[in-house]
Amino acid sequence: MAAQGGAAPSTYTPTPTKKTQRSPFFSDSDVDWLRPDGRGFHQCRPACGFTFNLLGCCDLIVFTYAGMFSLSLLSSCAFFSVLYSYMKGFFRTGAVNSAAGSAYAEFGNTKVIVSVFGPRESKKAMVYSDVGRLNCNVSYTTFANPARGLGSDNKEFSSMLHKALEGAIMLETFPKTTVDVFALVLESGGSDLPVVISCASLALADAGIMMYDLVAGVSVSCLGRNLIIDPILEEESFQDGSMMITCMPSRYEVTQLTITGEWSTAKLNEAMQLCLDACSKLDKIMRACLEEAASASQD
Amino acid sequence: MVGLSLGEKHFIQGGIDQNLRSDGRKRDTYRPISVETGVIPQANGSARIRTGATEVIASVKAELGRPHALQPDKGKVSIFVDCSPVAEPMFEGRGGEELSTELSVALQRCLLGGKSGAGAGIDLSSLIVAEGKICWDLYIDGLVISSDGNLLDALGAAIKAALSNTGIPRVQVAAGASGDEQPEVDISDEEFMQFDTSGVPVIVTLTKVGRHYIIDATSEEESQMSSAVSVSINRKGHICGLSKRGSAGLDPSVISDMISVARHISEQLINKLDSEISAAEADEDEM
Amino acid sequence: MGLPDASEDLSSEMEVDAFRRLFPLRYFERHLSESIRPDARPLGRARDTTLALGAVASAHGSALAKIGSTTMLAAIKMEVMTPSTESPDEGSIAIDFHMPPICSPIVRPGRPAEAAPVISKQLSDTISRQVKSFLCYPFLLNSGMINLKELSLVSGKAAWMAYLDIYCLDADGALFDAALLSAVAAFSHLQIPIVSLNDDGKIELISEEDDGAKLEVEPVNKEKRKLTLSSIPFSLTCILHKNYILADPTAEEESIMETAVTVVLDSSSRLVSFYKPGGPVLAHTSAVQDCVALTRQRVKELQNILDETLSGMEID
Repeated sequence: MAAQGGAAPSTYTPTPTKKTQRSPFFSDSDVDWLRPDGRGFHQCRPACGFTFNLLGCCDLIVFTYAGMFSLSLLSSCAFFSVLYSYMKGFFRTGAVNSAAGSAYAEFGNTKVIVSVFGPRESKKAMVYSDVGRLNCNVSYTTFANPARGLGSDNKEFSSMLHKALEGAIMLETFPKTTVDVFALVLESGGSDLPVVISCASLALADAGIMMYDLVAGVSVSCLGRNLIIDPILEEESFQDGSMMITCMPSRYEVTQLTITGEWSTAKLNEAMQLCLDACSKLDKIMRACLEEAASASQD
Repeated sequence: MVGLSLGEKHFIQGGIDQNLRSDGRKRDTYRPISVETGVIPQANGSARIRTGATEVIASVKAELGRPHALQPDKGKVSIFVDCSPVAEPMFEGRGGEELSTELSVALQRCLLGGKSGAGAGIDLSSLIVAEGKICWDLYIDGLVISSDGNLLDALGAAIKAALSNTGIPRVQVAAGASGDEQPEVDISDEEFMQFDTSGVPVIVTLTKVGRHYIIDATSEEESQMSSAVSVSINRKGHICGLSKRGSAGLDPSVISDMISVARHISEQLINKLDSEISAAEADEDEM
Repeated sequence: MGLPDASEDLSSEMEVDAFRRLFPLRYFERHLSESIRPDARPLGRARDTTLALGAVASAHGSALAKIGSTTMLAAIKMEVMTPSTESPDEGSIAIDFHMPPICSPIVRPGRPAEAAPVISKQLSDTISRQVKSFLCYPFLLNSGMINLKELSLVSGKAAWMAYLDIYCLDADGALFDAALLSAVAAFSHLQIPIVSLNDDGKIELISEEDDGAKLEVEPVNKEKRKLTLSSIPFSLTCILHKNYILADPTAEEESIMETAVTVVLDSSSRLVSFYKPGGPVLAHTSAVQDCVALTRQRVKELQNILDETLSGMEID
């Protein structure tokens, strides 16, 4: 079993002695799951307390927006409890200087950088087209997941990113050329794809590509009877079903919707409404970030 | 695929507006489906589905393997679709790869349910032989032989038929194995375990052309679509998976409407498919 | 060389940006003759450098280094391996340098950058070569940056394998310098987790909550340990053009003036490596000595920055 020089030895990650188990259903209460980070079910993640200069800027800007959500899908008689939810997410454009446009997003432990190059010349093998082309690629670093992975391109996410964005971009404005959108997930803490999509639309806006609207993405997990927004990695591994919506908030149009797991109609509608509300709040944060970047560059 | 002229495009859209499509169907009518099971003798289960000019084959192969470390009480299923160049010349080499991945991912989403296993069409815990050590690995392969639209529905139906045709051999586990050792297994050739496919969902794809939705679009009609929603619904009327395709955005109320239409149609489709499958199995038994 | 007369005539009429694109070499030479560069740096000065530790929470050690716009993220993950029979009480280090498509317009998803494997090899030579055993390199005294014996867990059975992955997030020249700096900082930040040997002979992680409860097995390493780093290497890349030596080039400068020299010195100013891969300009001994002198200055700067960042982390 000893590795000789030249051959890579096989390694394994030491696993923790205690494995986390999903707690059994509480039969009395309405709650099936306690979120490890203490958030309410309808709260998104706050920005992580980072003090390092990813972008050479010293301050960490946290945008907060308070909104009201109606809670509970549980009882047939609708009891509404008004819950103030704070959505904090960290977005910053202009992360990468070599790119035409770029953005960095951080939601809890999920950190993503997206660069946009273009519009630039299409590959010679491509057929002439009188609308522009969009080329997307999502890849993970080797240290993104808790267990070391290979860090390769994720083809499924790349095609989903493509589908989410193509409805929002005005492809007629750059015929014969291609816009490349490349995303790198630095650390994966759950709910990766919606964060990648939101970050990508910010990067496109930073690059000056004409779009109909920004695309905001949110995902919801169903655990037992509870709907949990913006799940973390642990919650995602125990989920019974998930829904991811990306929409263009100003136009109120859904560009992509994927559902896994078993859902009844009532739950489905409730989850959709929840996601759409969250998307519109996320949209406001994204716009504030863009305005801030624009005014900073004018100074 | 030959391009469509402007006149043809108007014809297709106009027909759909007036509830009369090019082949005489209404908007919510399926093409006749023909099911044949047991087409691949070496596989544990297989089926061929033909709807109109679309023809797909699905096969199920079961092998013994180790369960995943994180889920020791569940078997493993992997679904893979191959678009053969026989169907379209552009599928040759890497051309069909994108479509294959899209179809595979959509099928996995519809049939395998959430991460914890809830809502799965296939009950993974029934695939366990010895917990933590031996489980059945199911390899479900779909092959597209001829493509004339509505591939996802056809593949979903084919997989359902193949699963009901699947027989997993019974396994005797030698007792007394401990620790990490693999226990001895004895795979019987005689006894087979049939799959319970009442929980397997069907996939209904609604294609939006203009202002109306159609079921079971041909490839000409699909080229005119603005967007499509594929809904996977099981017998209880619950939604087991949903994917949206197409570049246009959809209003959420439109999506809810499409889901309810799909649910309504799925009841008929499930019944029809079940009767076709049992008829096909009866034919096969006779032969 | 082009037509000097034509460009002289046009230069008075053209805008600065157009001139920079069309006649890049003349643009730079105009600056160099005044001993300054387009971003207002003197010839021997490097760009602003910042370091931040602990960028990635899921890795055991990580660092983000920025030199001007060039950004590198280094992360170290520790895994357990069986040591080889020749060196049963030594661990191992695997270094990998990636240039993902986000960093630069010349990198595409299917086509990796040409510079990536070159820098990867250079890095592993600089960090790991020093660590080979006494028998292979008799001239190296007891070794460079990392002592592999510190990575051993149970002699002959288990040892740490440190996977160092460096990702370039923004490529703007001087890639090797930034990569080396981030690697060194990541090793300084590394905290080896506490593990114990369980009954099956496998190593398991002890989570912090178990501290109060009784431990069935003794932890193999008592507390989260840091590696002791001796003779930390730092580097500086210089560009040679005619008689000028430019320290810390940007990507534009590197593409126009192709002769680059990389000098790696350790903290006691001993030469670790000198790398001049061809190029149109041939260097005299004096040029070599000037490069080394510039590097010596830079090493002091970098050492200060690293020390400040480390002490900043400890205060938190």
